[in-house]
Amino acid sequence: MSEGFNKRKIGRSLFSLRRYIIFFLLIAFVVTVCFLLFFNFLDIREEDVHNAAILTFGNVLLLSFLGATFDGIRHKYTVEKPVRQILDATQRLTRGDFSVRIEQPRDVRRGNEFDVIIADFNKMAEELSGIETLRTDFISSVSHELKTPLAVMQNYATMLQALDLPEEKRVEYARSIAEGSRRLSELITNILRLNKLENQTIFPDVVRHNLGEQLRECILAVEDLWEAKNLELEIDIDDVMVEADAELLTIVWNNLLSNAIKFTDKGGTIGITVKENEQWAIVSIRDTGCGMSVETGQRIFEKFYQGDSSRSSQGNGLGLALVKRVIDIVGGEISVQSALGVGSTFTVRLPKSV
Amino acid sequence: MIRILVVEDDKDLNYVVCSFLKQHGYETVGCLSAVEAYDVMYGNPVDVIISDIMMPEVSGFEFAQTVRELNSEIPILFMTARDDMAAKQRGFRVGIDDYMVKPVDLDELVLRIGALVRRARIASSKRLTVGQLTLDAEEHTAYLQEEEIPLTVREFNLLYKLLSYPKKTFTRAQLMDEFWDADSASGPRVVDVYITKLRDKLSACDDFEIVTVHGLGYKAVPK
Repeated sequence: MSEGFNKRKIGRSLFSLRRYIIFFLLIAFVVTVCFLLFFNFLDIREEDVHNAAILTFGNVLLLSFLGATFDGIRHKYTVEKPVRQILDATQRLTRGDFSVRIEQPRDVRRGNEFDVIIADFNKMAEELSGIETLRTDFISSVSHELKTPLAVMQNYATMLQALDLPEEKRVEYARSIAEGSRRLSELITNILRLNKLENQTIFPDVVRHNLGEQLRECILAVEDLWEAKNLELEIDIDDVMVEADAELLTIVWNNLLSNAIKFTDKGGTIGITVKENEQWAIVSIRDTGCGMSVETGQRIFEKFYQGDSSRSSQGNGLGLALVKRVIDIVGGEISVQSALGVGSTFTVRLPKSV
Repeated sequence: MIRILVVEDDKDLNYVVCSFLKQHGYETVGCLSAVEAYDVMYGNPVDVIISDIMMPEVSGFEFAQTVRELNSEIPILFMTARDDMAAKQRGFRVGIDDYMVKPVDLDELVLRIGALVRRARIASSKRLTVGQLTLDAEEHTAYLQEEEIPLTVREFNLLYKLLSYPKKTFTRAQLMDEFWDADSASGPRVVDVYITKLRDKLSACDDFEIVTVHGLGYKAVPK
């Protein structure tokens, strides 16, 4: 309904009666005033006046027509054309075509308001298409990550239906199904959590707490994992007090710790330190794991990015995206130094008070 | 035999939890709602309760609260899809003993139930036995083969906590929290002093040892 209305409004012809009448009244007024001012004092024969009046009237009619037409042409090129372009583009945008851009006729700085609107519109469309690409990428990554464990489970379930299955095969298949469902549930938990964090439906609940103690508790919560891998822990934790949301921060520590454990081979070393300076609490988690390349290091905080595809079965590529999001919310910083085959060190800096 | 009540409104999940627990030697009663559970418990007491939170009519919170009002000792474990801190806090406030987020690892569930049963036994008998060593919580006394080991109240409490959760490491702050009064000005390092004393006094006992987990805390490891 509104689209039809818009079209009718901008579909004007070159000549409009309204504009003609305005021009006619204007010229007629100027001419009349001139006549009254100059010819009032002259003694002219009435017959001459009569003839001249008709001619002048004709002249005014013609001039008004020319004026109205020229104005129409001017209007068409300086107002209607950009307005039509903008309207077309906004209509395409509202229909979901984010690739639309309006041609910029000249430099914005020398142009008028329309050029500014066009430039801003193009910028807006670009942002929107960026978000759209992110969203589609996210959805395709999510569906891929969801489908892989599902496929595994489905296939093993099919294989389990075979009648004469040896006992050890049966146990192995069942274990694979359990593993697949565990991955799936971990992924869904992470997606939900990330979604909550991104929509800011979680508001940080800031409390003053002992960061060192929090780290110790997080480390002890995964005691089984590092004991099972026989990892050596080098711990140098000071009792540092911070004002931050403790529950959100546990997401950070749990993810960084489980990554360190995951990527370090048996018998390796994990070092955890908590220190402070005047402004910041500094937590560093170091491992002697497989490390990563510089390019990987730059991208690890992206959603679904996984540096080493051979280890992808162990994670879902969301852990560090969650970590980054939390760090942003609490106003901290995170950095990583890493070298292939040597290990990685993640350093988190948190403001001690808000 | 230990009787476990499983309150879970999803039939399949209820069935699978019950059968898994049966495989591990427990007697189970499955109920699809809290109301049904009240009826079951009325006729025949149970030893452990596993309950969901989100159920029609009576929620897990109300159920746990009602049970707690009547019986302060029966272990209750929540098994729920809610993983937010608010739900956990509310659960522990009404008096539950453990909390697991769905989907639960059934092996872990069995381990946790074992620990719950063990602690419930300790709590009701007020006695804890590790090999030759017996701790009596009412008298605050420790016996090694009939011979009393003189322990101060703090030393006793520390040892009791460590032995109630064998192989679990506690940080110094966690060990302090439980027993020291809030006005105690001494730092967490004071725990080290007590641990040294305990090791000394228990040097004759070789059923367990108190292990230092470097930089983190202490744990009791049975041999």
